Amino acid sequence: MAIITLTKTPTRPAPLSETSMLGWMRKSLFSSWFNGALTIFTLYIIYITLQGVYIWGFADATFVADNRRACYDISLTGACWAGVIDWMDNIFYGRYPREDIWRIDLGGLLLILWMAPMWMRKVKGKIWIGVTVVTFYPFLAGYLFAGGDKGLFMQLMIAAALVALPANVINMLLGLFKDQSLGQVLQGFVAKFSRDEKVQRNLLLAVVALSLVIAFVLQSQWQEVAVSWTKWGGLFLTLAIAGIGIACSLPGGILLALGRRSKLPIIRILSTGFIEIFRSVPLITVLFMATTMFPLFMPEGFVLNKLTQVIIAVCLFNACYMAETVRAGLQAIPKGQYEGAHTIGLGYWGTMGFVIMPQALKYMIPNIVGNFIGLLKDTTLVSIIGLFDLLGMLRSISKDVPWLGLHKEPLIFGAIVFFIFCFSMSKYSRHLEAKLETSNKN
Amino acid sequence: MAKNAEIDINQRARPVEKFNFFQDQRVRSAFYQIITLAIVGWLGWYLFTNTTENLAARGMSTGFSFLGSAAGFDTDFKLIEYTPGIGTYGDIFIIGALNTLFISFLAIVVSTFFGFILGVMRLSDNWLVSKVTLAYIEIFRNIPLLIQIVFWYIGVFSLLPMVRKTIDISFGSEMVLLNNRGLYMATPVYGELFWVTAVAMVVAVIAVFLMRRKAHKLQDESGEQTPILLRSLLILTVLPGIAFALTGTPLTWDMPVLEGFNFVGGTTLPPSFLALLLALSIYHSAQIAESVRAGILSVNRGQHDAAMAIGLKPGRVMALVIIPQAMPAIVPPMISQWMNTVKNSSLAIAIGYADIVSLFMQTGLNQAGHAVEMVGMTMAFYMFISLSISWLLNIYNKRVQLVER
Repeated sequence: MAIITLTKTPTRPAPLSETSMLGWMRKSLFSSWFNGALTIFTLYIIYITLQGVYIWGFADATFVADNRRACYDISLTGACWAGVIDWMDNIFYGRYPREDIWRIDLGGLLLILWMAPMWMRKVKGKIWIGVTVVTFYPFLAGYLFAGGDKGLFMQLMIAAALVALPANVINMLLGLFKDQSLGQVLQGFVAKFSRDEKVQRNLLLAVVALSLVIAFVLQSQWQEVAVSWTKWGGLFLTLAIAGIGIACSLPGGILLALGRRSKLPIIRILSTGFIEIFRSVPLITVLFMATTMFPLFMPEGFVLNKLTQVIIAVCLFNACYMAETVRAGLQAIPKGQYEGAHTIGLGYWGTMGFVIMPQALKYMIPNIVGNFIGLLKDTTLVSIIGLFDLLGMLRSISKDVPWLGLHKEPLIFGAIVFFIFCFSMSKYSRHLEAKLETSNKN
Repeated sequence: MAKNAEIDINQRARPVEKFNFFQDQRVRSAFYQIITLAIVGWLGWYLFTNTTENLAARGMSTGFSFLGSAAGFDTDFKLIEYTPGIGTYGDIFIIGALNTLFISFLAIVVSTFFGFILGVMRLSDNWLVSKVTLAYIEIFRNIPLLIQIVFWYIGVFSLLPMVRKTIDISFGSEMVLLNNRGLYMATPVYGELFWVTAVAMVVAVIAVFLMRRKAHKLQDESGEQTPILLRSLLILTVLPGIAFALTGTPLTWDMPVLEGFNFVGGTTLPPSFLALLLALSIYHSAQIAESVRAGILSVNRGQHDAAMAIGLKPGRVMALVIIPQAMPAIVPPMISQWMNTVKNSSLAIAIGYADIVSLFMQTGLNQAGHAVEMVGMTMAFYMFISLSISWLLNIYNKRVQLVER
């Protein structure tokens, strides 16, 4: 009798202990008596916490009231969210003139519109999108927020931004619907007129120049009322400082990192010293230095407003942290890449700009996002030296007469706002990291 | 033909390049460096002259002589003797520096301890425990530390009962009291013969240490395990205990007593200290937990399986196999977290704990002027701490490398 069976044994379903809810619970919650006790204890703690939060934050909370006393008349054991709701505009926009709030909203929307193609897989030319956002958007947004008179440089930058933004949108639409980039379309367009490359290039330049001139004329008609920086505040100011900080610190960090890895000893020592000094002191001392010592450093009569001082300090400080991020990214690039670039005859800047940086930046993105999270959290420090950022605004609720002494609720609200921002960004950076990791393995 | 080829080679080998001043590598590098140095030097000189001019225009003196002059303000928390009006700005600097170091040290100890526990809990087999720890870590990592500090200070410690309704948190012995003015603790007052007990304690510790070494040696040689926990506890309690009893219990307590409107006696920790310590510990324990988790995950899974296979219990697998191997990956980020703890303790300024920034660089600066010197000294203090910590890290890295190869 043959022992071998020729028919295939039918596959059995996985045992119930592996697939059912009960089986999962047994494995991951009650695998031993100790684990079981731990589970029950943890459940109890979760219950107590959630119940407390629910009763204080929702069930017994007051959402509509005229002042703090009215809040307490309604409920003594719950939160008084009415104060936070009453101040909501201040929390988000500071003391920005109410009729001009659309400028902040528009600035935010433009940024979203400009950045959105970065996340669309079909759209091409992402490096260009990134570069234009970092170089031109700050000026456009800066004028939108601050208003007033424009200098010539400002006008040029705004004109460039006004060209870059529609170009970006057209590029996005072309990418989405026709799978092409704006560059390709333009090239095809000029190719119709002439075969000569030189003529084509001149034509392209003419198109760009023409649109710049049109944009320049358009923007010279555009005039916004000046809003003093003292009116900036709330979440808007927090995001503005963090945004400018990250935009400045990226190029600064790249330069410092290159300096630190340079073969020229004087440049290396200076960069290393600069980076290490700023990295070893707390941000608050740098902010203090900016506000108390900056006036001493400058020639007599040269006055900078506090916001500018703070932004300079934040930029310098963050550039040093960014430099370390960039350095780590540069170190991840194998030496063969440098040697390869040298063999095809690229010089230092060619090697860095065309070969090393594009690769290194890709690996740096998660860390840059992490850096931005840190910067966003650190921005709360400006409230210590008297700017009304999100935290500063939240703390001044308790000094407002109707809401005198209302401390807890605003702080918790601020914590929630920051948590939403930071947590979603850190999730995103981790997602990026995972994506990069897999693409690296293939 | 052969001749032709030779000429060819000669032509190629002949040094065709002339010395081109603008293309020469050395000239270029020297040029760049000189330019950089000139710019930096000019900037430094520019700032320096501006500063001296400004100081002269405002009639402000420079130099460090102010450190010897008397400071007229007091602080609620100090580790050295100081009387306002007699103590100098130098004393203020030392008080601030010690306060920074004191709270940073405590916060580092607490956050490292809890960070390890949380990091291990995060990797627990128990799904619920792991997720709850994840929630804790994510919540406290993603809320700015300053908000947490202010919250604990204003939202919790300032809302504690008033002095007259003080809470006793030492189970009725009235040795540790808590109210909205801080934490009051009884301090031990050592009698004359207390040194005998201290000596007995030292002897006990040495005895336990020797016993432990002997037990380890025995285990290494024969594999036999000697339980020493009970015995060492016995030695540690009985020996000093007997000495203490024989010398006539030379120890009394300086109790906090309510006198008028406040407590007098014992040690007082102000609410700002408690809030800062709590916030730093919570925030950095979450940060350290992340590096502990990453470190443990960096250990090859096979190590865990093998340890389980030779019959070690889960707790001992962690303690004897995984953690020792994870340490080289855990320690460097952990030490940089320690550095961050020291730097973040400067946020004390928001709630008025007398650390170096808030006491010396803010209050002191407002009283004495001397912005350049005082900010410079404060920054130098942090740089010194930072250098010491990175020196520590370098020593550790070298040791780890030596063990490995």
